[in-house]
Amino acid sequence: MHLSGEVAERDAPPGSMTFLGAITHALRDALREDERVFLLGEDIGHFGGAFGVTKGLWEEFGDARVVDTPIAEEGFVGAAFGAAWMGERPVVELQFADFVSCAFDQIVTVGAKTHWRSGIALPVVIRAPFGGSVRGGPFHASCPEPSFVGVPGLKVVCPGSVGDAYGLLRSAIEDDDPVLFFEHKALYRRLRGEFPGSGHRVPLGRARVVRAGAAATVVTYAAGVDLALRAADGLDVEVLDLRTVWPIDEEAVLRSVAKTSRVLVLQEAAGATGVAGHVLALVARAAFESLDAPPALVSPPATPVPFAPPLEDTYLPSPERVRRALEELLDY
Amino acid sequence: MTRLALHRCMLLQRLVEERIVALYRQGRIAGSVYTGYMQEAVAAATGLALAPGDVVAPLNREQACHYARGVTPADVFRNFLGKGDGPTRGRDGNMHFGVPARGVFPLVSMLGDLVPVTVGAALAFKRRGEPRVALTYFGDGASSVGDVHEGLNLAAVWRVPAVFVVQSNQYAYSTPTERQMANTNLSERLTGGWSIPCVRVDGTDALAVYEVARDAVERARAGEGPQALEAVTLRGHGHAGHDAAAYVANELRLRFGDPIERLEARLRLDGLEEGELAALRDDAAAEVAAGLADAEAAPDPNPATLEDGVYATPLP
Ligand SMILES: Cc1ncc(C[n+]2csc(CCOP(=O)(O)OP(=O)(O)O)c2C)c(N)n1
Repeated sequence: MHLSGEVAERDAPPGSMTFLGAITHALRDALREDERVFLLGEDIGHFGGAFGVTKGLWEEFGDARVVDTPIAEEGFVGAAFGAAWMGERPVVELQFADFVSCAFDQIVTVGAKTHWRSGIALPVVIRAPFGGSVRGGPFHASCPEPSFVGVPGLKVVCPGSVGDAYGLLRSAIEDDDPVLFFEHKALYRRLRGEFPGSGHRVPLGRARVVRAGAAATVVTYAAGVDLALRAADGLDVEVLDLRTVWPIDEEAVLRSVAKTSRVLVLQEAAGATGVAGHVLALVARAAFESLDAPPALVSPPATPVPFAPPLEDTYLPSPERVRRALEELLDY
Repeated sequence: MTRLALHRCMLLQRLVEERIVALYRQGRIAGSVYTGYMQEAVAAATGLALAPGDVVAPLNREQACHYARGVTPADVFRNFLGKGDGPTRGRDGNMHFGVPARGVFPLVSMLGDLVPVTVGAALAFKRRGEPRVALTYFGDGASSVGDVHEGLNLAAVWRVPAVFVVQSNQYAYSTPTERQMANTNLSERLTGGWSIPCVRVDGTDALAVYEVARDAVERARAGEGPQALEAVTLRGHGHAGHDAAAYVANELRLRFGDPIERLEARLRLDGLEEGELAALRDDAAAEVAAGLADAEAAPDPNPATLEDGVYATPLP
């Protein structure tokens, strides 16, 4: 017998829904409420997906709505766009976000450009588990979102809380544009929270102040949110969760920086790519005069994600590293 | 009836492309131009084999397929001229357009991409139990692209109502088929490799292509899974407007006849008088001239609208 992760969540006491359970719940509710929604991905049917996110859904919805695919990321992502062209709302699971490189062309060519060229909307959600701390190494732990930050026509979402995982996924499925939905693997079973209710929606493109503060702003997303909260303990620091990392909620960034005059970008994507490059450029361009210190960046070095624990632990931003960077920023 | 429709669509493609090449040489069309010269029969016959509710994703060589779907020469000219009221509103040029209202998906350049997209449209029909078919094309050259394999495999394993038209026109740009693949018999490969029944047909014989295409479309519609046909032709012009195709041997050219002349010979056998044929040609020429005049008078795109429509639902 196998117990679906989601059923276990439903029976669990309030406040103990996992991040993963919230995603399962969002998929189930979307499948129940909208005939046009169906799931596509490798091993997502009776097996329930590599991480168990779709456990229990095949039993409820069957082969026609929870579709196991051959190993053909470019092919089934393209097929999702074709089905969306015909008015369906496919939700694709990539087994690991790293394999998004195999579907890159369909995403940036067909997904991103079709509405602008022809007015055909392509409502497809591509879900993908990303990120490190699971000893996944160069091919199972990377953060590929920088490849899509800046691509006109795409929306990129990276939830950082249980409620957002549910509310953002529901909004993404209801949105008329292609949405890349990156789920941090380290949050799947570690993060717990309240189930926000089936009516909960989180608007795409809106950041959230997770913790208010006046002395500095941490701009982050996904696993960075929890990390920033831990690192900022006892400091008068504002933590801004971008939630949608493309397009970026520039107003929210500028509003917070105008208040605090100091900013640190925290991301798990390597170097200054993606969100870091965009937010730092924004601050330099539009908030230069309100800054009391050079903007700071905490991110891994510009290398692939290493496997061995001592290497990966050094590679990934730690609470201590973020804490030190915050203290330097505040002391400047 | 069908014969006349075939003739009209083929002739429109021929005449519009003649104008387009001339405009390009005069510097009045920017960018690049692609034609399907000598492949018009394939485009017209496969387009006409579809029912109004079916959908199609044509490529560069298949202008006549657009006419079969009800797209007009004026629409095509507007896109080549980058006009503000053309199918892509000046955002893309040449044959890189679609007409959603006619069930025509916009061409994307990346060869192979439209194969999975077409499979997905067919998957939607199958899921909903709708008796509709999705059709697309790929060249001998594109058959080497991974997307084509992924799409064919998905179509076959999901048994969706998709039809694939293989345009075996001997060349991919300057590279002949035998330097692209060891087994150049694409119909054999589709049938034996992907388990998609594929009939090879002379692509200069419009009636033969139509028969085969209609059969394939109706089998797909009847739930027999994906179908294919391989149309053998020779690309009549170079790869694009700039390419004189000096690498194509004359002996090879002599092996392929003109599909329009061939159809006209057939129409004569059917009893069509010279005068009637001349009238058909005049009608098509008049439609093309009017379409061009229309397109030339059309407004240029307004640069202020450039950022409209990046998203179906723009974020605040
Ligand atoms: C993936 C990709 N690579 C390269 C090109 C550039 N390109 C455009 S058409 C073409 C040749 C295509 O040959 P084939 O598929 O046989 O079609 P044909 O042009 O002969 O009709 C090439 C190389 C492209 N559009 N897409």
